[in-house]
Amino acid sequence: MNADEMAEQVRMCAACPKMCRHICPTFFAWRSDSPTPHGRALLVHYDNLGVRPLDERAVEVLYQCLECSHCLTWCVPGIDIASIVEAVRERIVAEERAPPAIIKMAETIESCHNPYGEDHTHRNDWVTIEETDGQGIVYFTGCTAAYRETSILTSTTKTLTGLGYNVIVTPDEWCCGSPLFRTGFKELALSQARHNVNVLNSIEAEAIVVTCPGCYRVLTQDYPENGLQLNKPVLHLSQLLADRLDDLPKGVLHARFTYHDPCHLGRHSGVYEPPRQVITRLSADGLVEMQRNRDNAMCCGNGAGLRTLFPEKSREIGAERVRQAVETGADYLVTACPFCKNMLASQSDNSLNVIDLPELVQMATSGKSPNGSTD
Amino acid sequence: MLDEKTKAEAVRRISEVVGPEHVTVHETDRVLNAHDAWPLSEAKIRAGEILPLADMVVFPNSTEEVSEVLKIANDLRIPVVPVGGGAGTCGGTLPIYGGIQLDLKRMNRIIYIDDDSMTVRVQAGVVGIDLEEAVNKRGYTTGHTPTSLRASNVGGFIATRSGGSMSSLYGKIEDMTLGLQVVLADGSIVECKAVPRHSVGPDLKQLFIGSEGTLCVITEATLKLFPLPEERRFRTIAFRDVHTGLEAIRHIFHRGVFPSVVRLYDPEDAAMSFSTRFPIDEGNCVLLLAFDGTVEQVRLDEQMTVEICMGLDGKDLGQDPARYWWEHRYDMYYPTKFTTAGYSIGDTIDIVATYDRLERVYYAMKEAMEAEGAFVLSHFSHMYPNGGSIYMIFFTSQPDAESAWTTYRRIWDAGIKACLREGGTMSHQHGIGLTRSTYTADELGSSFEVLRRIKEVLDPNGILNPGKMGLGVRE
Repeated sequence: MNADEMAEQVRMCAACPKMCRHICPTFFAWRSDSPTPHGRALLVHYDNLGVRPLDERAVEVLYQCLECSHCLTWCVPGIDIASIVEAVRERIVAEERAPPAIIKMAETIESCHNPYGEDHTHRNDWVTIEETDGQGIVYFTGCTAAYRETSILTSTTKTLTGLGYNVIVTPDEWCCGSPLFRTGFKELALSQARHNVNVLNSIEAEAIVVTCPGCYRVLTQDYPENGLQLNKPVLHLSQLLADRLDDLPKGVLHARFTYHDPCHLGRHSGVYEPPRQVITRLSADGLVEMQRNRDNAMCCGNGAGLRTLFPEKSREIGAERVRQAVETGADYLVTACPFCKNMLASQSDNSLNVIDLPELVQMATSGKSPNGSTD
Repeated sequence: MLDEKTKAEAVRRISEVVGPEHVTVHETDRVLNAHDAWPLSEAKIRAGEILPLADMVVFPNSTEEVSEVLKIANDLRIPVVPVGGGAGTCGGTLPIYGGIQLDLKRMNRIIYIDDDSMTVRVQAGVVGIDLEEAVNKRGYTTGHTPTSLRASNVGGFIATRSGGSMSSLYGKIEDMTLGLQVVLADGSIVECKAVPRHSVGPDLKQLFIGSEGTLCVITEATLKLFPLPEERRFRTIAFRDVHTGLEAIRHIFHRGVFPSVVRLYDPEDAAMSFSTRFPIDEGNCVLLLAFDGTVEQVRLDEQMTVEICMGLDGKDLGQDPARYWWEHRYDMYYPTKFTTAGYSIGDTIDIVATYDRLERVYYAMKEAMEAEGAFVLSHFSHMYPNGGSIYMIFFTSQPDAESAWTTYRRIWDAGIKACLREGGTMSHQHGIGLTRSTYTADELGSSFEVLRRIKEVLDPNGILNPGKMGLGVRE
């Protein structure tokens, strides 16, 4: 989107009677017209015209966005506020006006190659993978599965090994750059990206599989859009499993399941059906949908820096999504994203188990509930 | 705008009531909260103008907090402009004299649904679509589906006497509101008990319904619910002219049939809205109909309606155009490149009249507005046994802001003058706000003085939404 196109889009959005505001998760959390798609557009519109340059509060408002793109689902003219916010954030970063907590996160990724400040040397040295003579496949673990939601990582390696793959996890993997791209640190994101492309392209394997939709989006979209080409296909685990449905146990899980669409997998990448196909295959009773599902799914609240800057509001959004899941009567809320799982599990009580897709597969194949580690 | 001393005292005292995090004086928040859906506001924003700003935005969480805030405002003589969704189309929520924008969005609880009485008790800040989805899950509908449903709040519905696209069957918000809680300018909390009908003097809640924040702040309401219809069917009939289309509508009601949707598009609007998708003959009008009810009732209603229409040489276009409209009924509310280009501006004058003068009002307004250079297209919607509403939609595009705003006002003046001259009433559901405030005295005639006196008694300091509805204009 060039500057003229962006100006036209924010001009239209700024003059809209707020037809998407009701589904904006930050509107839900703040109940104010400021952190809304329309509010963001209005700020950028006035700034474009030189009427009101972005002040400190405007910068804060522009970081009160999850970039979940839920507004886009409800926008007949198709105004992509998430992309516009991201572009403006790049300018804010270039002007060294980003919120301090976001700058600190970016510096942490630059120095540690993960946003958690964890020791890079222990990113995945703890995982044991059984070697097989099967087809080689690289599992790009992502930071959250490596450091926080470790059972997703172990469940994934077991699942892939069980399907006959020779799973390769590389210690040279860095943060994919998603938190950096989304918060305006594009150059820093590209430095992480270039490293990852070199590492991944040097590994002999048939494909790269990811469990994190944030990783999936940057590897399949942001990298190529910035001239960085991976030499093998990238699959989200759900897509790989959907292609191997016949090799998964059928109807062995006797419980009620609902599914939360991660924004980066669903709205940003168009992957809606594969996770559902896997759950439906494993479940004896199928899947019960939340009222808001697929491109109308509510964000979990854990994206684009919101949890870093406004943890309480982020949790409010997560709690609302859990409430929507509880409303279905499900025993399990399944998602396909370590970030979503982490947030939703933190907001769930004992009445609803939150579980990621590879953990569900392991539950089906092992007959046991997962013993995930969450913080 | 307030002087700094008064403003500081107001912020301090109001912060003690609602919490400092729920009062903002930051200009950015005041700019973002100023926006309504008045086409003139939207056009001015596109042109880079800043709308009138409040001195502060306050977000109460309960009726008691609203009451305490009003007591402070009344004590300090500060203007208070209540805001719901900010989706009004008449400038009713613009804080033209500064003061407090009292934003009710945090008051968004659905308090209870009474299955026995088929009612729902809600706070004023519930968004329309959230309420509709919540009651749908219990097998009900509010029957209230204005185009702004995603953006407007219950309090705004009631404050503006709003109407939805199915008002022919379910009624307007004044018919749906059984009980009401409001706060007066002095902070008194007034409860109008929820009853289906009564005979205890005048219905005081009707005094507050449509008062647009000038007499009270609406905080809670008890609304009617209807069972979700077992069946909804659509039908579309073309007629050779407006007169025949209106004849058909009158006969349908007189036969005792109450469709949920009755919309007659004049030749210009029919061409604009449907001719590119459906086989509409040039110059024809199009009648869109929907029928709600049991399968048997809907079948019977549809059959009788079609018989009436065929008897007037109507052309049956089947269900598709009406269904298409229903499925895309919110689309027209979105901005487009066409409607937001340069200094183009459009608006809708939603007048209402009885059948004996409705057609005359239509032609008179059309002629008067076109004489001012407007492109006018219209549909008759919100139809009832005794008359109905006309949506006089107009567009103009001008080379600069000044001529655009001037032309816009001239078109309005000409349209309303023609409407009142021919015996119409100037608004069916959008309200008065700023757009129509200069016409209120002419519209109400001798009854305007009653309204003015009521305002003086209930709001002697003139703090509630000054300058709207032709009331409380400050020097």
